[in-house]
Amino acid sequence: MTATTHSEGKHLGPAQYVMVWVALMVLTGVTLAVWKADLGYSARVAVALGVALVKAALVAIFFMHLWEERGVARLTLVVAGLLVLLLIGLTLVDNATRFPYANPPYSESWKDAPWQKDAPPMQGEPPPVRVTPADRSTHPAGHAP
Amino acid sequence: MHTEAAAAPSRLAHHFPDMKTQEHAARMGMWLFLSTEILLFAVLFTAYALYRFLFPVGFEEASRLAHVAMGATNTVVLITSSLTVALAIHYARQGENRKVVGLLAVTILFGVTFMVLKGFEYHHHWVDGQLPGRFYSYSGLQGPGVSMYFALYFLMTGLHGLHVLIGMGLLGWVAWRATRNEFGPGYSTPVELSGLYWHLVDLIWIFLFPLLYLL
Repeated sequence: MTATTHSEGKHLGPAQYVMVWVALMVLTGVTLAVWKADLGYSARVAVALGVALVKAALVAIFFMHLWEERGVARLTLVVAGLLVLLLIGLTLVDNATRFPYANPPYSESWKDAPWQKDAPPMQGEPPPVRVTPADRSTHPAGHAP
Repeated sequence: MHTEAAAAPSRLAHHFPDMKTQEHAARMGMWLFLSTEILLFAVLFTAYALYRFLFPVGFEEASRLAHVAMGATNTVVLITSSLTVALAIHYARQGENRKVVGLLAVTILFGVTFMVLKGFEYHHHWVDGQLPGRFYSYSGLQGPGVSMYFALYFLMTGLHGLHVLIGMGLLGWVAWRATRNEFGPGYSTPVELSGLYWHLVDLIWIFLFPLLYLL
């Protein structure tokens, strides 16, 4: 049993796998509980993504045997993770630093949008739409005339 | 067990000095392939991040239409199937092929459960008109970004579902080989590599579930 070809000297057994499974179940429960409790948008996003990262690490380290693997497999996963971070991170940085009016109309708030049934009547002060100051005088609500 | 000793040398390709080196090369190749799979899904995750950034309200409202109970059940199903695969690899290394067959059969059943639940979800969305792009016709929720959420929902879960199907095929093939007592202390590479693939499918779902159902 010890003379396996893949032995690096620290094999995990069924008991450890079941423990990892229990941890993954508990973490899934945490995510769902926080979602139910509705602690607010940013808390929900932070907990959901944080717990997902921990769960992914548990699966990679124990189920995928990174614990007992040689360096090259770990390096491959770390490099892939870095590339994913670069791809998503730089895309978001690009969008976050753009001219704010580049977002589509009403994408950040549906309140007062013209298709809402209880929207205020379209008269007097135009609804707070993100249009350039130059457009504001000629194009109420950001629509082309 | 004694057949293993006779069979092992024939599995060694002539350009490898020994089984250990061959096995390490195989696993390194698998990890390289898995990293390309990660990058394939990363493109879709990037699209999700980008459109979520552009349509924060649309995505938040649309994700309330997701069927959380079925998604959560599928999360439990996939994580448990990862456990059965990990145990199958453990027993394959010890040459207990009957246990390997049983555990892989259970894993494939979990895969079937996952796909059936996914099918019910798709059916509900289809009937309600919650579909991508111009096919979106659900009157209960209208607004910018909603149909984009469903485009990404079907793309991401669809590509993931395809991977579940491929994984089930791989595990079925490995289980068939286990019925012929092929695996043991000297040789378990096919179980290990198919198992790695299945774990990656689980790993991707671990991120898909909160992003598509809970945010």
